[in-house]
Amino acid sequence: MSQKTGQQVYNLTLKIHRYDPDTHRSWIQEYRLEAGRILRFVDLFRKINEEQDATLAWNSSCEHGQCGTCSVKVNGKSLLACELLVENAVQYFNTTTFNIEPLNIAPVVRDLLVDLEKAYERLDKVRPYIIRPAPALSPGEEYPISPHELEGYVNATRCINCFCCASACISSHRTFLGPHAMLAAIIRVMDPREQEKQERLKILYSDQGVYRCHSSRACSFVCPKQIDVAHFIALAKEGGITRKR
Amino acid sequence: MSKSLKIASTLQCDLLIIGAGGAGLRCAAEVLEKRPETSVIAITKGSHPQKSHTSTAQGGLAAVDPKDPADKTIYHMFDTWKGSDCTADQGVVRKITEAAWEQILWLETRGMHFSRDHNGKLSKRTFGGHTLNFGESSAYRAVFEADRTGKGIMDTCWGESLKRNISFINQSIATELLFKDNQCIGCLVFKQKTGELVRVLSRATVLATGGSGQVFKVTTNCRQNTGDGLTLILQAGLPIMDPEAVQFHPTGIVGPGILASETLRSVGGILRNKELEPFMERYAPKMKELAPRDLVARAIVSEIREGRGVLNPDHRLEHVWIDLRHLPDVVHEKQIPEVTGFFKKYLNIDPKHELCPVHPSNHYHMGGIPTNASGEILDRSQKVIAGLFAVGECAAASFHGFNRLGTNSILELITMGKFAADRVLDYFNSVSDNLPEAKGHLTLSRFSQYLEAGGDDNIGKIRDALRTLMTDKVSIFRTEAGLLQTMETLKELKDRADKTALSSKSLRMNQELFQHWELDNLLSVSMIIARAALDRRESRGAHYREDFPARKDEFNYHTLVSMTQFGEVEMAKREVDMSIFNEKGEYYEKFGMIERKY
Ligand SMILES: Cc1cc2nc3c(=O)[nH]c(=O)nc-3n(C[C@H](O)[C@H](O)[C@H](O)COP(=O)(O)OP(=O)(O)OC[C@H]3O[C@@H](n4cnc5c(N)ncnc54)[C@H](O)[C@@H]3O)c2cc1C
Ligand code: SF4
Ligand code: SF4
Repeated sequence: MSQKTGQQVYNLTLKIHRYDPDTHRSWIQEYRLEAGRILRFVDLFRKINEEQDATLAWNSSCEHGQCGTCSVKVNGKSLLACELLVENAVQYFNTTTFNIEPLNIAPVVRDLLVDLEKAYERLDKVRPYIIRPAPALSPGEEYPISPHELEGYVNATRCINCFCCASACISSHRTFLGPHAMLAAIIRVMDPREQEKQERLKILYSDQGVYRCHSSRACSFVCPKQIDVAHFIALAKEGGITRKR
Repeated sequence: MSKSLKIASTLQCDLLIIGAGGAGLRCAAEVLEKRPETSVIAITKGSHPQKSHTSTAQGGLAAVDPKDPADKTIYHMFDTWKGSDCTADQGVVRKITEAAWEQILWLETRGMHFSRDHNGKLSKRTFGGHTLNFGESSAYRAVFEADRTGKGIMDTCWGESLKRNISFINQSIATELLFKDNQCIGCLVFKQKTGELVRVLSRATVLATGGSGQVFKVTTNCRQNTGDGLTLILQAGLPIMDPEAVQFHPTGIVGPGILASETLRSVGGILRNKELEPFMERYAPKMKELAPRDLVARAIVSEIREGRGVLNPDHRLEHVWIDLRHLPDVVHEKQIPEVTGFFKKYLNIDPKHELCPVHPSNHYHMGGIPTNASGEILDRSQKVIAGLFAVGECAAASFHGFNRLGTNSILELITMGKFAADRVLDYFNSVSDNLPEAKGHLTLSRFSQYLEAGGDDNIGKIRDALRTLMTDKVSIFRTEAGLLQTMETLKELKDRADKTALSSKSLRMNQELFQHWELDNLLSVSMIIARAALDRRESRGAHYREDFPARKDEFNYHTLVSMTQFGEVEMAKREVDMSIFNEKGEYYEKFGMIERKY
């Protein structure tokens, strides 16, 4: 028996936002289902496909919080559906009715599935790789980076591009490239192996960059990887990312 | 509606990568680095390359650092050979282990965020089966990026490909390889978002579609791993090698199937059955929980089979417990925080106070598309198929033989990806610039069949039945009776699938449509696994026959299985390459038919 709520089975109502690309029709469909306490929301979607409606479209890949494919909004909160257990959802939102929408970060392809290719275009603009690598200090050996130096930005490298932060960020829907795109740029400003700092700083401080951020911290609040995204952005605003540590 | 399914357009490229995971994009990045004018198209089934399975690999990647005074490449070769239960191909083992460190440096200089030691050099950790001096002591051989090494590889290979202007076609499936005069000239691609069929013509094609773990009910593998690449090859009349070689991890976490790592047992975790009996004492009185992986996995399944398992009502799965309650707080907090975190996150269980449910989990497919040491695909008579390559988990070169060592898979991705790229570049010099034409015929008829079928079964339910069957009969324990029965049931499931109507006939992002296609692939892969397991009347590496529990010399070969029509299987053999042994150089005797005992 669940120690948290004392319940074994829940009667849930999922109100899922649907979209049909063939007819361009949008509607909200209600599914009622019985679910065990530790089923995850991806399991619920699968259950709907198997028992009620095979046409409901949604997406996932690793289903253990490492790839960021199954992001959706549940009762307004952007999260990974593979990490949300029924029991926790009931407790957190204090209801058994859940309103489920696709992330508002790119056009919807169908139902809960958004066009991630489009969403990634903004990330591609910050060039998420080393543009001009520093030559090895001694040939045939790795470039030395002290654990202390790595510590400065390693948390930002944990981002899985789930776009939860981008969807929660009020600035993200205009020209801002998005909190996680800022992280990708900040990483390479702080990474000693990147020589091309000027172009990076230009993007970061452009009208699509960090000054779009209103410091609401919504990004840090929703990040399923618990990355303090807003901290890195604040650091970039005050010039802290180019300072030698 | 099905009438509107037709080949909408034709794209052309020099290099086509089917499967943009770690292996596929390592290959693409190398080709683009060496020959920037190459036009490369990479297809991925997921919504983006970063969502590939490679991103989830945790532990590390093995490579002998030439600066390490204690470790030697020959030890890594030996460990791999021994781990493979003497069925790896020694030429490939040598080639990969010798190139390993150079490929680590490739990743490092292109921005992978490896964990560092206090000197700023790459940190190293130990891993099961990796030893110094031919088994004497543990080797510190695995470099890593915290607990997200695969993500580091994926991000780096994706970034490098993006930097050099690769074209991606995401959320799309390669459905059929195209051939002209025994040469592969591209494939047909179904773009899920638009519902269009596109023909891609290429001078060289690399298959890198990853694993097939979705064949089993409990698996660590991602949802995309449905063995598509293997089915593309079978469809083309080509063989698959060693499909019966499937690896299981003893302790997967009930629910998501992810690993509860060996560490839980090495820090003192105790396995218990329904009666809370610490049952390992009966199976391995001395080693108990620390017995080798396969022995522990068999013990767990035996307990469940004999009625001492516990049913998880939510996931409808029988399991045993791992008990961590007696471990001191400091162990929970310092030594096993990640795994304890998984139990908390996915089961709402606090391992300090509650028992944790575990079940063996499918983990890795050693078998795959047979290639040589350059990733070129071989037919039944070992002849190279022009223009067609395979790398990564879908391929079998064979670096892992019948059992893969931890950290050797992602090493294989980056080395074989590079070797295939070298060969592709050579191949470009020998093949003309003109792309021949071919139509392809299978996809249209298969998809039309899906769209026209009538009947009220459900794809998801058939898939669940298939995965339960494979877990029950073709995983940890295999018997002749069980395998025969499985093959019969698979035929029934295939009949059911053929008759299942789709709820919607739309072509655009109709997930039921492509899941039907995936189900057909799962059925095919299951069939060849079961059949190969039936013929291998011995136990070797991860393949365990309850009725033939020992390894036998008469089975010292690789299985080759072909199947163009479902259920009509043809078997053949490929010799195990024992070149290191046969050359009789230093330490050659370590590379004979040795025992896999630790
Ligand atoms: C939990 C876990 C931990 C692991 N840890 C380690 C470790 O520490 N060390 C180690 O060495 N190994 C590890 N492994 C194994 C390793 O991660 C995999 O073997 C490896 O990542 C496979 O890489 P790949 O490039 O071959 O395939 P993938 O990364 O799976 O990529 C396959 C690509 O092909 C695409 N695709 C599939 N079908 C089609 C199709 N029909 N059309 C078009 N595209 C298609 C997919 O979308 C994907 O992009 C681990 C595995 C798991 C599950
Ligand atoms: S802190 Fe800035 S980046 Fe983060 S959500 Fe708020 S406005 Fe967006
Ligand atoms: S920063 Fe966090 S929320 Fe944003 S994309 Fe990355 S992992 Fe997701």
